[in-house]
Amino acid sequence: MRFLLAFTVAALFLAWFLFRAGRADMPLLPALQAVPSILRWWGGAAALALGAMVAGRAYCSVLCPLGTFQEAVWRAGRRRLSGYAPGSPVRYWILALVLAAGAAGLAAVPALLDPYAAFGRGVTQLLRPSLAGGIDSLAGFFESLGLYGVISGTGRVPFVPGLFWSTAAFFLALTLWSLRKGRPFCDALCPVGTFLGLFSRSSLLSIRFSGESCTGCGLCGTVCPQECISVKERTVDADRCVLCLRCVDACPGGALSLSFGGGGQSLSRRGLLRTAAGTLAALGVVFWSSKKDDTVAAAASSRDEKLPVSPPGSKSRGNFTKKCVACTACVAACPAGIIRPSLGEWGAAGLFQPVLDYRRGYCQYGCTACGDACPTGAIESLEPEEKQLVSIGKARFLRRNCIVRKYGTACGACSEHCPTQAMRMVPFRGGLTIPELDPSICLGCGACEYACPAEPKAVTVSGLAVHGKIRPVSGGEGGPTVAPLEEFPF
Amino acid sequence: MDRREFLKRTAALGLGGVALLLPGGVRRAFGAREGLPGLAAVRGGEPGEMFDRGVAALGGMGRFVKKGQTVVIKPNMSWDVPPERGGNTNPELVERIVRRCLEAGASKVYAFDHTCDLWRNSYRNSGVEEAVKRGGGVAAPADTSGYFQKVPLPGGRVLKETAVHELLLECDVFINVPVLKHHGGAGITMGMKNLMGTVWNRGEFHSKGLHQCIADVSLFRRPALTVIDAYRMMTRHGPRGTSEGDVTVLKAQILSTDIVAGDAAAARIFGADPKNVAYIRNAAEMGIGTMDLESLGVERIAL
Repeated sequence: MRFLLAFTVAALFLAWFLFRAGRADMPLLPALQAVPSILRWWGGAAALALGAMVAGRAYCSVLCPLGTFQEAVWRAGRRRLSGYAPGSPVRYWILALVLAAGAAGLAAVPALLDPYAAFGRGVTQLLRPSLAGGIDSLAGFFESLGLYGVISGTGRVPFVPGLFWSTAAFFLALTLWSLRKGRPFCDALCPVGTFLGLFSRSSLLSIRFSGESCTGCGLCGTVCPQECISVKERTVDADRCVLCLRCVDACPGGALSLSFGGGGQSLSRRGLLRTAAGTLAALGVVFWSSKKDDTVAAAASSRDEKLPVSPPGSKSRGNFTKKCVACTACVAACPAGIIRPSLGEWGAAGLFQPVLDYRRGYCQYGCTACGDACPTGAIESLEPEEKQLVSIGKARFLRRNCIVRKYGTACGACSEHCPTQAMRMVPFRGGLTIPELDPSICLGCGACEYACPAEPKAVTVSGLAVHGKIRPVSGGEGGPTVAPLEEFPF
Repeated sequence: MDRREFLKRTAALGLGGVALLLPGGVRRAFGAREGLPGLAAVRGGEPGEMFDRGVAALGGMGRFVKKGQTVVIKPNMSWDVPPERGGNTNPELVERIVRRCLEAGASKVYAFDHTCDLWRNSYRNSGVEEAVKRGGGVAAPADTSGYFQKVPLPGGRVLKETAVHELLLECDVFINVPVLKHHGGAGITMGMKNLMGTVWNRGEFHSKGLHQCIADVSLFRRPALTVIDAYRMMTRHGPRGTSEGDVTVLKAQILSTDIVAGDAAAARIFGADPKNVAYIRNAAEMGIGTMDLESLGVERIAL
C-alpha cells in the first residue's frame, strides 16, 4: 500500500518532468519537495521539521522520488540484507557542508546532493534523450502514413553530453549500490534525510518492538532497506527509519508495529545534543532560504563583459544562482529548447544551473513556461504582460558584420524577429535598409542573434547581471485603423 | 516521362484540340480556360465571402482542384501573434479555402509553414491550425529538416538548389495563401515571399541576397492559385508587428493564377510600384510571371 502510494508519486514526478513541466494548468508538484520548498520560503524548513516530529522520515518513503527509485531497484533485485549496520557520522558532515555552501551562495553543492534535483536531471538529461529517438521514429512512422499529429515529435531537447554522461554515471552507480544496499543514498548521503532524522528521533509515529512476541529470527533486518533494525537490542534507529513498513509486513509474530505516541526515547545527553544540532541546522536552513538576493549589490560594473543570460523571472544573477538547484524542470519546460544546463558559464559554483542558449533558438515573446515550472523561486512565475517588459539582456549590433553593409544586399532578419522593434530598419545607401538598435526597448530575447545570418554574427546578446524593465512598446493604443479599400489602384 | 504518362498527355492534347474546335459556350461549359480572367480583385467583404466571389469569377474551384487530388495550402502562420495583429493569414479565409477544396473533390488538404517563431505556438496562436482543422484539412508540421528534400533550381540566379517540404513535392495542387504586410527586409511581403515558408534553408536567403532568392525559389513550383489576404494589412513594423496599431482593416483580397501578377496587384494596394519591389521585377524578368495585369484579364469585384 505504502509502496504503491510512493510509486504513484514517483510516476507523477516522472510524467511531470517528461511531459507537463511548465504547463500553467498543472499544479507545481515539486513544490512539495524539501529543498525547493525551503528555498521558496523559510517556513518550508519549519514545516519539514514539524512533519518529521510527527511522522518521522515518512517523507523519504512516500514523497521522495529518488528514494522510491532506489527502493524499486532493490526490490527488483530481491536481495536480502545482512541485518543491522550502524549509521555513518559522515552524513552529518554532508548536511553541514550543504547548509554552509547554501548559505554561502554555492548552490552547486546542494544542487548535486538534493535528491529531488538529482531525480529531475535523471529524467530530463538521461531518460528523455534516450526516449526521444523512439518517440520521434514513432511519430515519423505515423506521418509516413499521412497521419499527422497522432504523436508529436519530442521537438528540441537540449542535449548536453557532459551532463548526460555524468547523470548516466550517477544513476549507474546508484543502481548498483541500491541493488546491494537498499536505500544507500537515503542512509549515507542525503542531506534532506539527515535533516529530517534530527527531528524524527522522538516522532509521534514510529516503528517499535512491542510485547514479547519477538523470537529474534532476524527476518526484519533482512528486509530493512536502511539496515536500521537491531534485533539484538530490540530497537529501531528512528533517525534513519523511513517508515517503509517492510519490517512490519515481514514479521511473522507481529512483534513490530507502527505505533503512535512519544516516549520511545528518554531525554539523555545524546538526545539533547541531537536537538541542539537539529535546531542549529534548522536555523542554518532558514538563514539560507531567507538570504535576500543581492540584486542591487550585483549591479554589473563592467558593461563589456559578455555575461550568460538567465531565464526571465530570475531577476538577477545573484537571485538565480543562489536559489537554483539545477533540477532542470525549466529545461524540460522551455518549448523553444533554448534553456540548457550550463557547463561553467556561471562558474564552478553554478555547475549545471541553466543558461539561455541563443544558438538553439530564442526566448518566445509570450511564453512564461520556465517560471511556471521552477519550484524553488530561482525563476519566478510571471504573467505574459509582465514578462514582455522584462529585459534579461541587451543586444549589441556590430554594423561592420552586417551583411547589408558587407555585401550590399537586403536582409532585416533581426528586425523581422524583434518583438519590440528595438531592432528596426532605417534607410541605407541605394534604397537598402539597415538595422538600427534602440537598447532601451531591447528585451535580450535573442531573436535577432538567432535570426542573424551573418558569420560572425552582427548582433549578439549579453546577459544582464540584474534584469531590467523596458517601457511598453505597443504604440497605437486605439487599435487598428479602419479604412476599407475604396477603389482598386490598378 | 514513361510510356503511360506519354499516352495520357497525348490523349489530353488530342482532347484539348477537339475542345478548341468547339464553339465558345460549349468550351466554357467544359471548363476550358480561354476567356476566364487570370486575376480577381475583391474588396468590401469578409474574407470567406470575398474568396467565394473571387474564385467564382475565376471559373470556380473546379478549375483548380479535381476529384481525388491532394492539395497543399501554404498560409502564413509564421508568427506567434493572434489574428488581430495581421501577422498571419486570416484564419477564416484559410478555413474557407480548405472547405472549398474538399467540396471540389480533393482527397486530402494539407497546410504547413516553416515558421519563424516556435512552430507549435505559431500554429496555435495564429488561429490557422484550428481553422485548417475546422475546414477538414490537416495542419502538418514543418519544424525539422527531416520533412524537407533537396531539389535543384535550374534557372535560379543565386539559389541553385533548395530543400522543399515533402508535401509540396507530392501534392497534385498547390495553393498559396499569403497575407499582405509590411516587411522590414523585403519591403513588402505577399505571394512569392510566402514561399520562403515552403523551404528549409530560409536563413540562407538573407545571406545570399533576399530579393533574388525569393524570385529563385518561386521557380520551383508555381502555385495553381495565389490568394493574397489583405483583410488586415500591417502597414509598419512588419513582418511581426508590435501591436494592433500597426494594422489597417482594408477588407481586400487578390486571387491570381499568376503569382507575379498577384504580387504586382497587391503591391499597388500596399501603395508601392511593383517595379520598385526587386523580387517582383526579378521574377518578371526571369519569366516566372507577368507584371502586366491586363494581359491576364482582371475581374474587379466590390461587395
